Amino acid sequence: MEFYLISTLNGVIYGLLLFMVSAGLTLIFGMMGVLNFAHASFYMLGAYVAYAVSSAAGFWVGLLVAPAFVGIVGMLVERFLLRRVHAFGHAHELLLTFGLALIVEEAVKLVFGDFPVNYQMADTLRFAAFTVYGTDYPFYRVFMGIVAIVMFVALWLLLSRTRIGIVVRAAERLPQMAEALGHNIPVVFTSVFGAGAALAGLAGAVAGAFYPTNPNMALELGVIVFVVVVVGGLGSLQGSLLASLLIGLFSSFAVGIDWSAADLLALVGLGDWARTMGGLMTMQVSSISATIPFALMLLVLLVRPAGLMGERG
Amino acid sequence: MARALLPLALVGAFLIVAPPFLDLGWQNALINILIASLFALAFNLLAGQAGLLSFGHAAYFGVGAFAALHLMARIEDGLGFPTPLLPLAGAAAGLLIGLVAGFFATMRSGVYFALVTLAIAELFHSLAPHWQGVFGGEAGLSSMRMPWGGLIFGSLIEVYYLTLAWVALSILLLWGLTRTPFGRLALALRDNEQRVRFLGYNAHITKVIIFAISAMFSGVAGALQAISNETANYVLFASGVSAQVVLYTFVGGATIFFGPVVGAVIFTLFAYLVSDLTRSWLLYQGLIFVLVMLYAPNGLGGLIHQHLRHRGQLDWSRLARPYAQATLGSLLVAAAAIFLIETLAVVFSRDYAVARRDAGGGFPAYEVFGLNWTPLSPVPWLLPLALFAAGLWLILQARHPIGTLWQRVRAGSEPDVNPS
Amino acid sequence: MRHISLIALVVAGSLSAAPLAAKPLKIGIIESLSGAQTSTGRMFANGVHYGIDRINAAGGVNGEPVEVVEYDNAGGPTEAADKFRQAQADGINIIIQGASSAIAGQLTEDVRKHNIRNPGNEMMYINVGAEAMELTGEKCHFYHFRYTSTAPMRVNALISTMKEQGTLGTRVYSINQNYSWGQDMQAATAADTAMGDYEVVGEVLHDVNKIQDFAPFVAKIKAANPDTVITGNWSNDLLLLMKAAGDAGLKVRFATAFLDQPGNIANAGETALGHYIANAYDNSAADGSFADDYKAAEGHLPTFVEPQAAFAVGALQEALAKVSSEGGDVNVTKIAEALEDTTYESPVGPISVRKEDHQTIRPVVVSKVVKNAKYPADDTDMGFQMVKVVPGEEAIYPVQSSCEMKRPG
Repeated sequence: MEFYLISTLNGVIYGLLLFMVSAGLTLIFGMMGVLNFAHASFYMLGAYVAYAVSSAAGFWVGLLVAPAFVGIVGMLVERFLLRRVHAFGHAHELLLTFGLALIVEEAVKLVFGDFPVNYQMADTLRFAAFTVYGTDYPFYRVFMGIVAIVMFVALWLLLSRTRIGIVVRAAERLPQMAEALGHNIPVVFTSVFGAGAALAGLAGAVAGAFYPTNPNMALELGVIVFVVVVVGGLGSLQGSLLASLLIGLFSSFAVGIDWSAADLLALVGLGDWARTMGGLMTMQVSSISATIPFALMLLVLLVRPAGLMGERG
Repeated sequence: MARALLPLALVGAFLIVAPPFLDLGWQNALINILIASLFALAFNLLAGQAGLLSFGHAAYFGVGAFAALHLMARIEDGLGFPTPLLPLAGAAAGLLIGLVAGFFATMRSGVYFALVTLAIAELFHSLAPHWQGVFGGEAGLSSMRMPWGGLIFGSLIEVYYLTLAWVALSILLLWGLTRTPFGRLALALRDNEQRVRFLGYNAHITKVIIFAISAMFSGVAGALQAISNETANYVLFASGVSAQVVLYTFVGGATIFFGPVVGAVIFTLFAYLVSDLTRSWLLYQGLIFVLVMLYAPNGLGGLIHQHLRHRGQLDWSRLARPYAQATLGSLLVAAAAIFLIETLAVVFSRDYAVARRDAGGGFPAYEVFGLNWTPLSPVPWLLPLALFAAGLWLILQARHPIGTLWQRVRAGSEPDVNPS
Repeated sequence: MRHISLIALVVAGSLSAAPLAAKPLKIGIIESLSGAQTSTGRMFANGVHYGIDRINAAGGVNGEPVEVVEYDNAGGPTEAADKFRQAQADGINIIIQGASSAIAGQLTEDVRKHNIRNPGNEMMYINVGAEAMELTGEKCHFYHFRYTSTAPMRVNALISTMKEQGTLGTRVYSINQNYSWGQDMQAATAADTAMGDYEVVGEVLHDVNKIQDFAPFVAKIKAANPDTVITGNWSNDLLLLMKAAGDAGLKVRFATAFLDQPGNIANAGETALGHYIANAYDNSAADGSFADDYKAAEGHLPTFVEPQAAFAVGALQEALAKVSSEGGDVNVTKIAEALEDTTYESPVGPISVRKEDHQTIRPVVVSKVVKNAKYPADDTDMGFQMVKVVPGEEAIYPVQSSCEMKRPG
């Protein structure tokens, strides 16, 4: 019972973290059709900038400066790099963000070194929120969850209830029409990209204090974020949240699942045969827990590419 | 094609005659260049010709390597299979996996296709270390080349000629493919899939076959690497390997046949020459890639191709000066960037932090390019700035004349056959 | 014209092959100098440089200074294979490497095959950090020497010391990375139950350097209620595990192999206090002369893996001294034979070579994290304090039956 409760809590928090990082990507893809390979790099940049600023001016200042900085970087990237390449086609945009991811990672290593840095949360946040079955549940995890939920609510309200949101959604559906109506679409695109980057930067600033801030952050989280965005539906915020929670919960519970295909086959009497076969048959779910999200992504892409709640087909 | 024969013949002659006189390091570099070129060409069959961007081609490269290694181990145990034919195992494995993977991947297009290929490669990458029997865990598999037909295959030069033979054969086959109606069909698919369908062709089957052929030759490339290194390891499935081949192809140019080879040669040579000189060489690779994407969307090969195509119409005497200016300017900008990056690498390094601590918090001198500098003096910062400004000025000066001269050429000639 | 230049080339080539003076000994460091393991690779290289500087300060070999070349294998076995070829081309005699068992597996095979194909021109491989058992098992060969410990050695030392101290308890949990090293640790932990009088209440293998959130694992550990957790995790995997345990308020003792990796103590903070580590050396275990000497030469105290690399080169120095008294050209086989017979007195005890599999029999230092340590780590006020130095004979593991070493001559 304790395991289930803790795993659920952890799974939800981890899922919310994934959502924080992938919210920006969902927005950008839904809006511009650009799958930003550098998105996880914005996440990493946010963490490192927050570390650098917080070392000098404190945790909360870092938390404010990081998303702003990354947002500006995002806007510059869109305005001067992506827009140039837009004329050459989607493939080139993809490739550019790809190259950008490489550069950001290497630049971070250049300045901060090839090892984890000591980015710590504020001491005021360092206490236990509650105690469950004798285990302290750190408040910071709850804090991350709160930030993620606030982000979701704010985005949702922004997109569905405000004028800016309507303009953004119009630009997503029919950019030329929206432009014909007098809206400055290039500015909209730049702002959305910047906003997406800022969100990733905020996620990095928040998560980097909890998980170690290191140069592999982008790689580690990057591919999972793609899985989340695909499974949730490219372009759907709610789908992104749902998929993040799904994957977060699964990753959390999978650790405790020691079944393998051989165990399943044992139910029909083929257990021994499966065990002698070895290989794939005897791999436990817990040891291949990192593989299963990719299998899920593959399944979704092949069966229902729109994802759980996506709009784009 | 006739005018391309002479440079090709020269390159071919060099590749056949020169290697025995080069040292082992260069022989190895040449082998790697050949393998990278084949991999990039196989990738481009899918990306440049059929318009399907795959971000997980490492899967087929890796599968080919492992298949060849398993066969090599059987031969070591006594199977009488000829060693020179080992790449056939790679081809077979690549073809098989390519058919299966391609069938599913080509059900989608564009970004979704890319994501499916990514997922497939990541699946292999995360499964392989757990599947000890087939992939040998994290240490991988290892074997030894066995003699056959009088050749021991013990020395690197023999491996080189084997690689050369197979790569040449594969390139010939790939090139031949572009000349067949089927190859033309691939191009048509890239340009307008709907029209191809309306003409009565089954687009999906066509794409699957192209995917499978691309995977097959990737498998051959992987097998050649397994033969050369005599090992295969699950890191062959890593996203970095898929990324490398994408980099090679697009920096070289995806729209012309030999474009990917240009990219493969440049990057492999770059890695060979530069990787021991500086720790930031991956950063340079990324910068080169982004710059090429921005300013030469058809790649460097495309750039060369454009010049060759229009060499009759270009006013070379007028172009010489601005080109020289632009080249000099680029060199200055590159020098500025390199100086700045190397300086930052030293100043931000741990060793320097320790030196600073020992100097009591001050800013001691450091060494870059064999000369000493101090961070507090403006010199190490103004120097790259000055170089950068000068280089930029030269480039901007040259931009206008180059632009006008090329406009004249374009106005006077037919439109490009292969738009990007 | 071409004929003349060809002949000239051949003549020049054969002329340059004739030695004019004794060729200097060439040592190649093929290490992870870029990529994820850069800091570790750099430290191995530092330790080797320290050792070689001492050889050259003492006059070198045959009056010639030893040449050192660094090759960056970028943390991958494929690049390592490339750099090995380069090392072959450069005439390197001895290769030294330590960061990564996968790369070690590649290099040891490369060296073995090179020696089969080039009799009389052999190369040697001194492994200063790769701890996979197979390197002195299935893959053992005469020209490989393992100058580091292995999982069973570390676990044996930890168990025996913690039991003596009364801090082991009777319930032990084993959590490791799912590859050869982690599997070795898990097996070693399970094998020592009788000796240590404990039971293994749970074991888990997880993906290497992929897990972001160890909270589920901590929940599992908590459910098993152990006294001690033994783990061979390194880098993020260790850090995150300890952080998660600290956050959850899990009151358990960690017995580790790589807690002294730079950055770990700073990042783990107070949760690290009281945890154990078994490694080749700790500054608090010796009298300080080596530490001072190292600091004077390299600018910082010997940390993490630098000492074991330095000791390996120290042993090599003694072997070289035995060989160079005989004079003549570099003969790697003679050096290897001399190294087999060399017992190096490290600051924590003697290091000797076991001839059957070329594993060094060496002391294992068990230390604990304490506050206000003599040698603080990571600019914090915490550091390691030696608890016991387990002598080589006690820590060593039996020769593996899979090792069939063919001796030369």
